[in-house]
Parts: sequence; C-alpha cells; structure tokens
Amino acid sequence: MSTRPFLEVSGITVRFGGLVAVNSLSFEVARGSIHALIGPNGAGKSTTFNCISRYYQPTEGRIVVDGEDVTHHAPTRMAGMGIARTFQNLELFSDLSVYENVLLGCHSHSAGTLGRLLRRPSGEIRDLVDSLIERVGLTHDRETRARELDFGHQKLLEIARALALKPRLLLLDEPAAGLRNRDIENLDHLLTELAEKDGITVLLVEHVMQLVMSISDRITVMSFGQKIAEGTPKEISGNPAVIEAYLGKGAAHV
Amino acid sequence: MKTMTRDHWALLAGAALLLLLPFTVSGYVLYVVNLLMVFVVLALGLHVVIGETGQFALAHAAFFGIGIYTAGIINTAWHPPFLVSIVAGGLLSAVLGYLIGYLALRMRDIYLALATFAFGEAMQWVFLSWEKVTGGSNGMKMDPAELFGYKLTNDLQAYPFVIVLTGLMLWLTVALARSQYGSSLRAVRESDVAAMAMGINVKAMKQSAFAISAAFAGIAGGMYTLFTSFIHPESLGFQTTILILTMVVVGGMGSVRGAVAGAIAFGLISELLRQLMSVQEIIYGLILMGFMMFKPKGLFADRNRRVARKAMEARKA
Repeated sequence: MSTRPFLEVSGITVRFGGLVAVNSLSFEVARGSIHALIGPNGAGKSTTFNCISRYYQPTEGRIVVDGEDVTHHAPTRMAGMGIARTFQNLELFSDLSVYENVLLGCHSHSAGTLGRLLRRPSGEIRDLVDSLIERVGLTHDRETRARELDFGHQKLLEIARALALKPRLLLLDEPAAGLRNRDIENLDHLLTELAEKDGITVLLVEHVMQLVMSISDRITVMSFGQKIAEGTPKEISGNPAVIEAYLGKGAAHV
Repeated sequence: MKTMTRDHWALLAGAALLLLLPFTVSGYVLYVVNLLMVFVVLALGLHVVIGETGQFALAHAAFFGIGIYTAGIINTAWHPPFLVSIVAGGLLSAVLGYLIGYLALRMRDIYLALATFAFGEAMQWVFLSWEKVTGGSNGMKMDPAELFGYKLTNDLQAYPFVIVLTGLMLWLTVALARSQYGSSLRAVRESDVAAMAMGINVKAMKQSAFAISAAFAGIAGGMYTLFTSFIHPESLGFQTTILILTMVVVGGMGSVRGAVAGAIAFGLISELLRQLMSVQEIIYGLILMGFMMFKPKGLFADRNRRVARKAMEARKA
C-alpha cells in the first residue's frame, strides 16, 4: 500500500467575482482515514467540498485523488473513479423508491455498457442494493418513496446511495445536520465502520462537533477561506486560533 | 413465481376484445380502433420524454407528421414492404428528435416547452409550404401500404398489423422503463445534480429520450398510413400535440398504464366529439377542466397510492 495521501488539495483558490471564497488552501487526506473540514459559516468549506466533487471549478490550484489529477474532470466522471458524495440540502430522487434510489447509485459499475444499460439490473446488483438498504436500517421502507421518509432516514438513504457507488472516497456535506442525537450516534458507528472495515477514505464537512470530535482522525479548520489550523481532534479543541474563530477575539483567554 | 396482476388481466381482456372485434363490428369502428392504437403509440412516446425524463417536449405532432409524410411518400414512390417505410419514418423522426433534444441541454421547463412548441409550429409551416413534397395546403394522397404485393386497402386489412405494432411498442416502453436506462431517465427527471454524482450522463439521457420519443411518434405516423390514404397539415398542429399531452397528463404522469388509458379515453372523446362540430372544443375543454379539478394527478395516481398503502399495511402485519 502506498503512503501517498489519497486526496491532495494543493493551493486551491476560488473566486466568485470579486469575492475570494477559498484562498490558496492546501490539505491532505490519508488513505482510509476520516478527515473533517470545519469552520464557522462562510468559511469556504462547502465551496472546497464542491471543488473536490467537481461541481465548482477552482480558479487556481490542483486536486489529486489517488495520484490522478482531477482538477479538470467533469462531475460525471467522479463516480466511475469511486468518488461518491452527498449533498448539504439532500438531493434524493424524491419520487422514486428507496430501492431505486440506491440502485441508481450502482449506475457507474452496473450500467457501464450500452447492453447492460438496456437490461434490468443483475441479481448481483440487486443483492448489493438490498444489503446496503439493510446496512442503513431501511429494509422496511424498501418500497417507500424517498420523499415520504422522515428527514433522518432521508440522510441515511443518501449515504446508502453513495455507498452503492462502491466508493474509495466518500465526500459527506454536513451528514449530521438536522439529525437527532440518537441518529447522530448511529451515523457515528456507520462512518467509523466504513473507514475501519471497508477501508473507505471519508472527508466530511460538518458543524456538529460531537460527531467531528468523536470520529475524525484529522481535522482541518477553515476561516474566511483560509486554513487556520490542522491536527487531531485533541490538538484542535485546544487550539486558541480555532476557539477565536468560532467564539470571537478574547474568548480563548476566558 | 408468475402471478397474474391486475395489469396482466387488463392486458389479457384487452387482447381478447381486440381479437374478437373484427368479427363483430363494422368498418368505422375498426377505423376508430386503428386510430386509437396510433394515439396509444403517440402517447407512449410522449410518456418517455415527459413522464419518464421530465422534459417538456411540445412538438409531438411534428414528429408524427414526419412519420406520416416519410412513410406515405416512400409507399407511393416505391411500394416496399410497409415495415421499411415505417422504420424510415421512425428513424428520420429520431434523428430530428435527437437534434431538438439539444435544446433540453440549454433550457428547462417553460422555456423548453416554448422552444419545442416553436419547432412544432415551424414543422407545420414546412408541411404547408413545401408543396413539391407534401402537396402543401391541398394535402397529399398516399398509395396504400403493401406487404409483398398484398395491398392494405381498408381498415380491416390494416387492423392486425396495427394491433401487433402497438403491442410491440407497448412492450418496448415497459422494457425500457424497467431497464437501468429507464431508471437513469427517472433520475434525470428527479434531480440532474444528483444524477451527475451517480455518474449518469445527463446530456446523453436527455437527448436520447427526445430521440426515442420522436421515433415512437414517427412510427405512429407510419402506422397511420396503413389505414389512411390522405394527409393534410391541418391535423399536424399544436392542437394534436395538446391532445396527446392531455392523454399523458390525464392518464397519470409517469405511468405507462396512464398513457395507454389516457390515449384510449381521450382518443374516443375527441373522435366522438367530431360529430358535434362547433361545440366540440367547448365540451373537450370542459372535460379537461373537470379532470384537472378532480383528478389533477391523473387517472392512475390513486391506484399508485392504494398500492403504496397496501405495502405499508403488509409491513405492519
């Protein structure tokens, strides 16, 4: 196994007109680790996230995944590379069933050729879909339309759909936002298991500190488009610059 | 594990009825049934692009016309086995549909509806003005379709072929909807942002859906030439597109059964109202308003909800 980081973000800058949303940001995510990107609102986390998943184009800088430069890849290409994402405000196929949502996650490896595209999914794929539905605990809602699930279950469904891509890198945009405590604990277990058992590299943008501090191997902290700190949860929670960014000047000395 | 669902029974009953029909009724009824089958294929085509893919394409009558003129002209000039002329009309429509589908990559919703509407109007104008080919406003007479020297000269002779072709197109629609391609079309309908994240080529899906939809309309046009010998551009305008749209919407958007039921119901209504001439449009409008008020989600929306409720109860038990 190579020791090269699985994800390398080098010096990306994103400008929206005159506004610099992300300013020369660099960080690395180790293979098989859980890495969190945190920071106050407007710090540029989601913008960074959307650059990595290729929905935004950075003005400068490079993004390398497993040694492959993806800076100019179309978002559609990422699925085939085993890079899955979820969305901050949920982007489910709302009128489709739980089953069909997860099935669509298999698209990149089950419907690759025209012949397979025009056929029904194979038994192998259907089994994979069912096992993922079971893994996130939605078996009883297999035929329910996504829109009819409660919010927490919709979030889990989005993760199951992302897992259907057989991802090597999982990008999660605020997976815990709006979840109840019990659901956050389940998410905690699921993500830890994904990294430890399945060897999936996880990058998450998150505000819920309880989750971030519990599961992350490393944390990158952003403020006003720049990286202000990086380290283990322990190092970050004691870092004066981080406390200042979150609570304002002077708070670190209280 | 082959159990008969309600759909299977409905198909079986329909097939039996269609089989017995030619022995029991007169030519006019068979003409109406032939026409209804053409509407079914038209509605299935529009279902693919609107119901499955969620793209508002409002030029269906134009593709229907391209199918009719292509098949009619080929039949008249060369008298090939009619399948050749039907396939030619379907292919030409598909190519044009694919090109028009490019619009769907640039715009959506009402803008796409207007742009495709404009194409439909332009095509009707072409049918009207390209006199050398289409006969223009005089209409065009077409020789009967042939199959190895056997001429289809009346509704009864055309009937079995119309039925078989309709069955084939229905089967194709269902197979398409159940394939992973069908899933991908629905993904584009529901969220193209998420579809991209799944690795679905959204542009290819949209354009191919337009091409398939147009091919269905072109084939419907070819089927129409099996039992008619005259075509006039008058009947290939926006009114016809709206009639087919009504079939799909009233039947229940996104449902194959809805498209079939809507095509039969509204095909019948529009044919029956033809006798009433001047008040036809008014009654048609009233019926449509009634549907939109009391069944806004279409005839088959309730059924789907019932199925969902049943599944829910089964789960609790």
